[in-house]
Amino acid sequence: MELLTRMMALQEEHGAVTDEVLRALSLETRTPLYHLEGLRGFYPVFRSAPGEATQVQICRDIACAMKGGAGHCARVAEALRDLPGVEVEEVSCLGRCDSAPASAINEVPVSGTPAEIRAYAAGDTPLPPDEPATPNRWPTDPYPDQAARYGVLRKLLAAADGEAGRKEVVDTLKAAGLRGMGGAGFPTGMKWDFTARAQGDPKYVVCNADESEPGTFKDRMILEELPHLMIEAMVLGGWVTGANEGIVYLRHEYGREKKALQAALEAARQAGAIGPSVLGSGFAFDLRIFVSPGGYILGEETAMLEALEDKRGEPRNKPPFPTNHGLWGKPTLINNVETFAAIPVILHKGAEWWNAQGKGDFQGLKYLSVSGDVADPGVYCVPMGTTIAELLDICGGVPGGKALGAFAPGGASSNFLPANKADVPLDFQALQEAGSMLGSGAVIFAGEDRDLLELALNVTRFFRNESCGKCVPCRVGSHKAVALVEAALNETGPNAAPRPGLVGLLGELNHTLARTSICGLGQVALGPLMSVIENFPAAAKRLENTAAKRLDNTAASRLDPGGDLEKDGGTDKKGSGP
Amino acid sequence: MSAENNTDNNTVTLTIDGKSVTVAQGVTLWEAAREIGIDIPVLCHSPRMRPVGVCRMCVVDIGERVLAAACVRECAEGMTVATGGAEVEGHRRVLSQLLLSDYPDHSRREATTGDDALLELARSQGIVEIPYPEEPAGEGAAADDAAARGEDDSSPVIHVDHQACILCDRCIRACDELQHNDVIGRTGKGYTTRIAFDLDNPMGQSTCVACGECMACCPTGALTDKGLAGIRVERKG
Repeated sequence: MELLTRMMALQEEHGAVTDEVLRALSLETRTPLYHLEGLRGFYPVFRSAPGEATQVQICRDIACAMKGGAGHCARVAEALRDLPGVEVEEVSCLGRCDSAPASAINEVPVSGTPAEIRAYAAGDTPLPPDEPATPNRWPTDPYPDQAARYGVLRKLLAAADGEAGRKEVVDTLKAAGLRGMGGAGFPTGMKWDFTARAQGDPKYVVCNADESEPGTFKDRMILEELPHLMIEAMVLGGWVTGANEGIVYLRHEYGREKKALQAALEAARQAGAIGPSVLGSGFAFDLRIFVSPGGYILGEETAMLEALEDKRGEPRNKPPFPTNHGLWGKPTLINNVETFAAIPVILHKGAEWWNAQGKGDFQGLKYLSVSGDVADPGVYCVPMGTTIAELLDICGGVPGGKALGAFAPGGASSNFLPANKADVPLDFQALQEAGSMLGSGAVIFAGEDRDLLELALNVTRFFRNESCGKCVPCRVGSHKAVALVEAALNETGPNAAPRPGLVGLLGELNHTLARTSICGLGQVALGPLMSVIENFPAAAKRLENTAAKRLDNTAASRLDPGGDLEKDGGTDKKGSGP
Repeated sequence: MSAENNTDNNTVTLTIDGKSVTVAQGVTLWEAAREIGIDIPVLCHSPRMRPVGVCRMCVVDIGERVLAAACVRECAEGMTVATGGAEVEGHRRVLSQLLLSDYPDHSRREATTGDDALLELARSQGIVEIPYPEEPAGEGAAADDAAARGEDDSSPVIHVDHQACILCDRCIRACDELQHNDVIGRTGKGYTTRIAFDLDNPMGQSTCVACGECMACCPTGALTDKGLAGIRVERKG
């Protein structure tokens, strides 16, 4: 944390982490240069030379591509081209899919047409206020007012028998069937139990607030409007597992939310809910915010731990898992923002109450990020078991009187399902059985006239762009998959060489990525693409019916043992670059 | 390693390809397999080094949702491991094909020490076709694509061909962990990841002392001996 924090501060000061800056830092901190280069080259926030005064970032991912239309990023860039002192960059999802097409100007979120973005960048239109919104009432907040906050924590810490209290917390979470809301759905009670039982000292509590998956922004709302619930659960997590230190790993683009979180932390400190003796109990717990230097992969929990240890954010080989071997090799409790924020109300009202909130046989409440072809995109809190069709009604349906064509129920990494499966209930198991997943609870709707192959290609590009590059299948495979599909769709590139059998080849590649990649990113990278191919036969046809130009297979000649290597002494190189 | 040790708390017993084997706790699947004469292919791993599990060539089936990298996965009591089979071998072939699709037409390692591990593995796998495009296509790829990775001829001793680099991290571990010279690391991210010297300087202008450990550990034509390349030509004459 210290080194990356220093680098971010140095960049703030110098406009870049130049070679000169890094050489000085290397001497001062006795860190090898290669290590600093590794960080500078990995994290998107860092730059090696100062940029222009006005930085414009344009989101290129699914919800914004849908709302902005084809070529949106290029049109914004073109509109800004002649503005002096303005630098434009296409970036991955900014987490503002509800106000798509999203951009950011000097990290202030904006939305609008190319002309509107130009007006912001030129200073003709003042930037919108970048302050937290007035919080709404949400059904997972058990506290009627600010004075009542931290009531669950107060009650538990005041009880005479701490061990019984800790057991009660774990048992209640298990009874409530709460599962991780970041995407993986691991049972929360079990995770708390494992971390509590793990040997090691000190232990840590980390909140994964690095929500970065296209279509996903519900944690953003919780950070802005309900941060006290997350803080309370993190303190409880520390008390239950035996940790005295908590870290909120916050995604870089959530500046507005950071302000809300900081204010909530200050209020918690004043109320005594964090500090050297939490609510006078003698239990010490402190909490700090670490702002991510950027990148979707940092939401993978072990990549996040690597970043917290000032390394390149590359996922670890597992096992061991963080509950036993987390930050600095110590037991670490990691939960997502929404998961933590659900805990106070469950402990306040009981597991039975929580379970009764679901529809029918389903349990609990779920925050959903709704985006795409929908009248009222935004964050919704609905009973678990609500169907996709019901959700679409709640959100005003598909605009323009169009019918639903398809939907992705759990973020960009979830498989697309056809509209005829819209009666599937929002639930971990039900969605899995339907061939997709609840994932991060980001529902992306696509109208009947959407080019689903284009949408699938967009999310495949996202995973290619966000691959950390650690392991071969993801690093090379995601890139080749995009190249193959782009070539088949006759987009760009010198290798427009589609061929019959492409669907089979992509299927084989998908299987290898799913089975051999180190982390979830590589494992799911081609899933959405394959889901469109499998669920929408017309898409598969389009990939294979293009001109059957054979791939020029000179590459195979490389395997000729000895062979032509003898001819030229192995020194004749193609493409000798710098 | 014998069955008599079975009751010892410091050992675990597992089944690899139908054979029962008892090993000390902490031994990896790759090591245990080797004990009983089963070679699991690797590119990134070397017994001299800390395993990193990045090439994924050593994946084996232990009945989990995903395959396990044998070089980093520790043996566990009662584990049943399949080191081969159609699926596992199929994945290894795909991984080889992916790496070969970006590989230079001529490996400098074949032309010098003649021990290019990637080509040797691919030959043993019977790969004759590479179904993936050689040049990266599409938006965003052009500026940083593989073809632009290039070469670095600045060191008097070692030739660097980034195009032949498969990012196995052997040179990184050789430089930083075996020799403690602390010069080599990864820079960039995703498909544009490269090895880099110091602050991504040319090797000859970095703090490299030309010890040659990276070159000796490199399994491909990425880091090769400039001197040997010359000798080879003479030998041919």
